[in-house]
Amino acid sequence: MLRRTFLMLTTSLAMACAASQANAACSPDYTGVTLTVASQTGPYIASALKLGADEWAKKTCGKVNVVEFPWSELYPKIATSLTASDATFDLVSFAPAWLPDFVPYLSEMPKEMQSGKDWDDIEPAYRERLMVWEGKIYSQSMDGDVHTYTYRTDLFSDPKEKDAFKAKYGYDLAPPKTWKQYLDIAEFFQRPDKGLWGTAEAFRRGGQQFWFFFSHAAAYANNPNYPGAMFFDPETMDAQINNPGWVKGLEEYIRASKLGPPNALNFSFGEVNAAVAGGQVAESIGWGDTGVIAADPKQSKISGKVGSAMLPGSDEIWNAKTKKWDKFPSVLPGPFMAFGGWQIAVPKAGKNQQAAWDFVKTLTSPEVSGQAAITGGSGVNPYRKSHTANLQLWSKIFSPEEAKEYLGAQSDSINAKNVALDMRLPGYFSYTEVVEIELGKALAGQTTPQAALDAMAKEWNRLTDEFGRAKQLAAYRAAMGLPPKN
Amino acid sequence: MMRNDPIKHVFIWPAVLVVLAISIFPLIYSLTTSFLSYRLIPPIPPRVVWLGNYATLLQEPRFWNAIFTTTLIAFIAVGLQYAIGFGVALALNARVPGERLFRVALLLPMLLAPVAVALVARMMFNPTMGPLNQFLSKFGLVNLPFLTNGHWALACIIAVEVWQWTPFVILMMLAGLQTLPEDVYEAAELENASAWQQFWGITFPMLLPISAAIVFIRLIESYKIMDTVFVMTGGGPGVDTETLTLFAYQEGFKKFNLGYTSALSFLFLIAITIIGVTYLALLRPHLEKRR
Repeated sequence: MLRRTFLMLTTSLAMACAASQANAACSPDYTGVTLTVASQTGPYIASALKLGADEWAKKTCGKVNVVEFPWSELYPKIATSLTASDATFDLVSFAPAWLPDFVPYLSEMPKEMQSGKDWDDIEPAYRERLMVWEGKIYSQSMDGDVHTYTYRTDLFSDPKEKDAFKAKYGYDLAPPKTWKQYLDIAEFFQRPDKGLWGTAEAFRRGGQQFWFFFSHAAAYANNPNYPGAMFFDPETMDAQINNPGWVKGLEEYIRASKLGPPNALNFSFGEVNAAVAGGQVAESIGWGDTGVIAADPKQSKISGKVGSAMLPGSDEIWNAKTKKWDKFPSVLPGPFMAFGGWQIAVPKAGKNQQAAWDFVKTLTSPEVSGQAAITGGSGVNPYRKSHTANLQLWSKIFSPEEAKEYLGAQSDSINAKNVALDMRLPGYFSYTEVVEIELGKALAGQTTPQAALDAMAKEWNRLTDEFGRAKQLAAYRAAMGLPPKN
Repeated sequence: MMRNDPIKHVFIWPAVLVVLAISIFPLIYSLTTSFLSYRLIPPIPPRVVWLGNYATLLQEPRFWNAIFTTTLIAFIAVGLQYAIGFGVALALNARVPGERLFRVALLLPMLLAPVAVALVARMMFNPTMGPLNQFLSKFGLVNLPFLTNGHWALACIIAVEVWQWTPFVILMMLAGLQTLPEDVYEAAELENASAWQQFWGITFPMLLPISAAIVFIRLIESYKIMDTVFVMTGGGPGVDTETLTLFAYQEGFKKFNLGYTSALSFLFLIAITIIGVTYLALLRPHLEKRR
């Protein structure tokens, strides 16, 4: 009897030791916790979330289930779940532009996450602007997004091409400083008989189309003399989308659609990347993914020949206050923080909020996010200072010259004085829906650029009145980093 | 138990009330919502606007465009489905060689989920990678803008609808054909009636009641088209292929404009009812002749 009791005691002790050792490996211990994250369909972002999920599982013994929805369905799925206050998702990944709509249903980031080395490492454009809503932090950037320019260095450095270009246009073939130069280059390389086209941009409704249009317009509508007036007049909240700056942007966007592959009107960003990596186009604009995918020999035919630069700009920018063109002594680059990078947040209704924020911490740590940033197709672009400073990290995919140009373009764009912020407003989807519809008509030649933009402006003004002009104005000023209006 | 035993009320009324509550309450709730300005995002407190949503919708060109597009798709697609379906059913009824194989093969599209069909169609009509344009390219012909041009996109949607739902017409018409009495045709043959005369004099009139029902069902179903359009074109380019249900979806689940969407649903219901009633009224004299 005594022997049996001793044996049982020893076994229990051994089991207890084993269990405590296992738990010691889980820090903090979230054994048995399964988090559900809403994401857009992979690989973009979903694969980055899975990478973070694996790391978090190793660290905490918890599990993360990534639920994927097509891009066009993500907003309604998240919004339906949040407005119903159900606990379907423990975390939601979304566009910063949707933050104003989601804020009432999100929990605030724990204060301890809002300080320290990792916190300071986040680029100020994200940490101080896009992650902030009405002075509070409800979400964490998990991706950095700014549109940049990508080109084929083999074509641009070819002496024959350079000579022919100079003979035709009267200036050197180089990454464009202005949108006119961008279109000249596209026109020059438009050679369908040789399987080469000028440029690739997204033109399909529901295919991230309007951000590409905004990038064109930013050069002419984001005036440093009247900051924050790109989309609306920050004094009156009158829509600015039909001013002459925007008209010029739309005209050039339509022109670009004619200098792309034959099916360009059906391109979303995924097709843009495929066209660039397939060597089909000489140049392109888009998010940082383009450069990373184009550099990856497994995915690209132009690996080792990828150049990057900031978006073209203009030396003439429309002033919404004086209603005149302001002339600048030199061309101002027109970087645009299109989309603004994916963010991740924890709904108030979530049952595992502590675990969820801990997952955010792991996912966005410099190590995990740095790995995601150099993984082609992860959808994660640099958003931390350490991402762009660590050249060694990037040497895994880029040649030194490519890395220098790519990181330079990313960093210069984010930190440019005149960087245009994307629109963030309550009712965002209602505002952008009309943009998509009218862009479709303008691209198909069913309406003129001015008429399309007038229709957008009319609907924007109607929506602003419906949602409450004063409320929308306050939200818009906050989103543009302007002080509240007295 | 006697037929007029009052105990029957104890059994019947609870069930009737439950059914009424389940089916009528959502309708009443939706009707009430249609008189409100009510948005979930951005959250705006409900405000009574009475017929304001209806008035706005009736002045909205996008609404009329959606009505026109849906009607166009429904009428052309159902017309083609009926004509082709009837023709194929006649052929199958004539016991052609391999009839059984044809019958199974022709029914397959109907068994597929519309979303799957639309996905396949989207790949088929892909401007560069799709087999249709590749086929055209092989003969030196230009690539057609199947899904990027409004007219072509509408034609593609109609083609897919016809492909998927003609089997339903075939199935129903074949069932109808097989119930027709043989002796009428024997008598017609004794009178030397040609095949064409037999068709117009016997087959078509005798199948009129079932034809009317099939067309009615397909018409109503076609007005509800959403999945095919959603997957193939998303309503684009612009709003060229946006149907009523897709418009309602955009307003309801993307803009969360609940009052407006409820009004749209009721206008949709009214439109369908008008079309259904008109259709039946037009057919009634012909159907009554058959009684």
